[in-house]
Amino acid sequence: MNEVVFEVKHMHKTFGPTVALGDVSITLKKGEIRGLIGENGSGKSTIMSIASGKQKADSGEMIYRGTPWNPETMIEAQKAGISMILQEANTIPGVTVAQNIFAGRESEFSRFGIVNMKKMCEAADVLLKKFGIEHIHAGDPINLYNFEDRKLVEIVRCVTDETQILVVDETTTALSLEGRQILYKLIHRMAEKENKTIVFVSHDMDEILEHCSVLTVLRDGSIVGELSREEMDAPDAVQRIRYLMVGREIGDKYYREDYDTSHQEEVALELKHLTFGSIRDFSLTVHKGEIVGFGGLSGCGMHEIGRAAYGLEKLDEGEVICGGRKIKNPLQAIQSGIGYISKNRDQEALILEASIEENIVLPSLPSLQKGLMIFPKDEHALADQEIKALRIKCHSGKQLVNTLSGGNKQKVSFAKWSAKGSDVIIMDCPTRGVDIGVKQSMYALIEEMKRQGKAVLMISEELSELIGMADRILIMKDFEVKKEFMRSPDLKQTDIIEYMI
Amino acid sequence: MEETKKKSVPLKEWWRKNGAAAASYGGLIFCIILFSIVTPLRGESIWSPAKLATLMSDVIVTALMSVGAVFIYSLGNLDISIGKQIGLYATIMVFVGNLTGSLIPGILICLVLSVVIAVVNGASGPLLNIIPIIPSVVVMQVLSGIITVVFSTLGTRSITLRTIDYSVFKSPVLMFVVLAIEVAVTAFLFNYTRVGKYARMLGANKVAAGQSGVSLLKFRVLCYIIAGICFVVAAVFQMGYTGSASDSTGTGFEMNIMVALILGGMPISGGMRSRVSAAVVGAFTFSILDVGLPMIGLPTRMTFIVKAVIFLIVVLMTSRKKEGTLPK
Repeated sequence: MNEVVFEVKHMHKTFGPTVALGDVSITLKKGEIRGLIGENGSGKSTIMSIASGKQKADSGEMIYRGTPWNPETMIEAQKAGISMILQEANTIPGVTVAQNIFAGRESEFSRFGIVNMKKMCEAADVLLKKFGIEHIHAGDPINLYNFEDRKLVEIVRCVTDETQILVVDETTTALSLEGRQILYKLIHRMAEKENKTIVFVSHDMDEILEHCSVLTVLRDGSIVGELSREEMDAPDAVQRIRYLMVGREIGDKYYREDYDTSHQEEVALELKHLTFGSIRDFSLTVHKGEIVGFGGLSGCGMHEIGRAAYGLEKLDEGEVICGGRKIKNPLQAIQSGIGYISKNRDQEALILEASIEENIVLPSLPSLQKGLMIFPKDEHALADQEIKALRIKCHSGKQLVNTLSGGNKQKVSFAKWSAKGSDVIIMDCPTRGVDIGVKQSMYALIEEMKRQGKAVLMISEELSELIGMADRILIMKDFEVKKEFMRSPDLKQTDIIEYMI
Repeated sequence: MEETKKKSVPLKEWWRKNGAAAASYGGLIFCIILFSIVTPLRGESIWSPAKLATLMSDVIVTALMSVGAVFIYSLGNLDISIGKQIGLYATIMVFVGNLTGSLIPGILICLVLSVVIAVVNGASGPLLNIIPIIPSVVVMQVLSGIITVVFSTLGTRSITLRTIDYSVFKSPVLMFVVLAIEVAVTAFLFNYTRVGKYARMLGANKVAAGQSGVSLLKFRVLCYIIAGICFVVAAVFQMGYTGSASDSTGTGFEMNIMVALILGGMPISGGMRSRVSAAVVGAFTFSILDVGLPMIGLPTRMTFIVKAVIFLIVVLMTSRKKEGTLPK
């Protein structure tokens, strides 16, 4: 049970001036579910991406099953038994599920150079069943399935009989609730029944505490602590891990502490009888100084409501009214004081190859314009003010956004709308992929928005933050609001979940 | 934001931002230095007034067009109707010039026409939901058809200005002044106004720009209009050099533009790293090779091959980016 399978000794890795890993040593044993937790940029993903051949270390040594280990590619690593499920989507579009599962292994099903598709599909279906995935059919084109289901297909592809070490890198944020259950079952089966090693990289504390048998905490490229299962079960474990991750006492204050649900009488945003897509006759009134939370599973329609309120959906019926004006497109929405933070941060909310400054000032350009011209000093002033206010970690506003960590990127997408002075902020999964430290400051920011009389529409897949922040929570299922909860200290996740599923 | 950190901007990041620009400026400077040293040894300096005049007339049309085309390329788009636009504008200027005895009416007609073409090229993509190269192919076909019909009706393959004195357009000084003005105006529009900023943003990420309130339709059409006006200016000089237009005037110019922009370090997929200077640097690099290579004794028949090799090297250095996709 305690046999060492993998060892990292004195590993270093730098990206430019950033030290991703500074002298890290870690030992993995058979049959353990090793949690790796840390803030963005702590190096938690880097260790295992080097182990699985995705990138190379600057120096250091790896030993896998008793011999030195230096994989050139991820394929080499996977064949040798180290598989990594990546954060990003990684399926091949335009082909079937089966072809995705057996990509690179077609020869197993081919005779005289011709692949027997039927055989491949059957084998894939058997495999899918074995993983407990009933709703995906091997013969279907992969494009029929959504992001969450494609992730499951990736998992099936990654994990083979030869797999000795499975690395799950922040995969659960990309999975639906059902998908997560499948993954959890899989890792427990592999670790407990098959004596394999699981490395579970995450910054979701609840998940880590529930499933890991041992936990390693990283900060700024170094290992700062290791907790056994017993220590994880201790009542103060969460506090202790948070302290280790952030390196300072972040205090108890995390979410809002008041339970005052009062708001101004004035209506900030009104959705009237919206009918579009699968949504039927949806109405909602948001007041100034009110935080309205939307919760549900990812396909419940809540994300679409956010898009519609910002003029991104073509409505069959109904209207969105803000400031006495009908909103039909994002430009009108912005002019009426609405800001929108998409859940697809890197694709929709930010222009990655542009600088922090260019991103922040983008929605404000029309108001910065003097005559025909936009003066660079006005742009700097506005951007610097927001960089300071939100404490975006960067060496200057000229730094490109794609060099920032997830949390700082998200701060930039917040900054766009605080720079614009928007009065209604629609935020879709505002803390997705963001670590505790940044989350804490985001929550403080949202609370400050409420105090300033801004209206916030908070769409989230994390119930805990809805309970922690919203004045009222609308729970959606099958494109309808199933239940409305008011803010209360007694509200528990378990009360809400039954209306979601 | 501390001072100490400011200085340690990683070289890698600087290169990622400015590498293409540095490589293409370096190429032009290398050519200038090389020819400045080598050509006097062989008798005639590249800096002689005669050679500079040759250089200006070689570069002017490509430079004027490419500067305008920056607005289209920065969107990540490709317009292959440009050559035929030049051909049509030159034909109209000569034809109307002969009818009226002045170039002004012809130029005005061309400006109006350029706006119409810009609206077709720029708006049909987003409105009909097709990639923008397709309407430009259609426009090219239509313009070719019109030019063919015009010249076969006239019963000739080329027409010449009869009474108007066009010698002023051969002046290298005027060429330089007009180019300088065009570059100044477009650089201003590109760097200090919404049109240019939005063009780069749209090229980098249409969806994100749209969610930040940038209207794709409006600003794409504006970009095409600015480019179209530059094309009319270029057509004036194309027509003015010989005082004539033919049914093949302008053919293949869009390829010269593409070569010039890529040589100048313009990212082929558009976006944030687009620059007006790419057009000028690229056009001059190519023309200086045109003028300089024969002067250092390279047979004219070989210049194409040398230019092709240089082009290949620059492309490998600047455009080989993972995220680089072909313009649409």
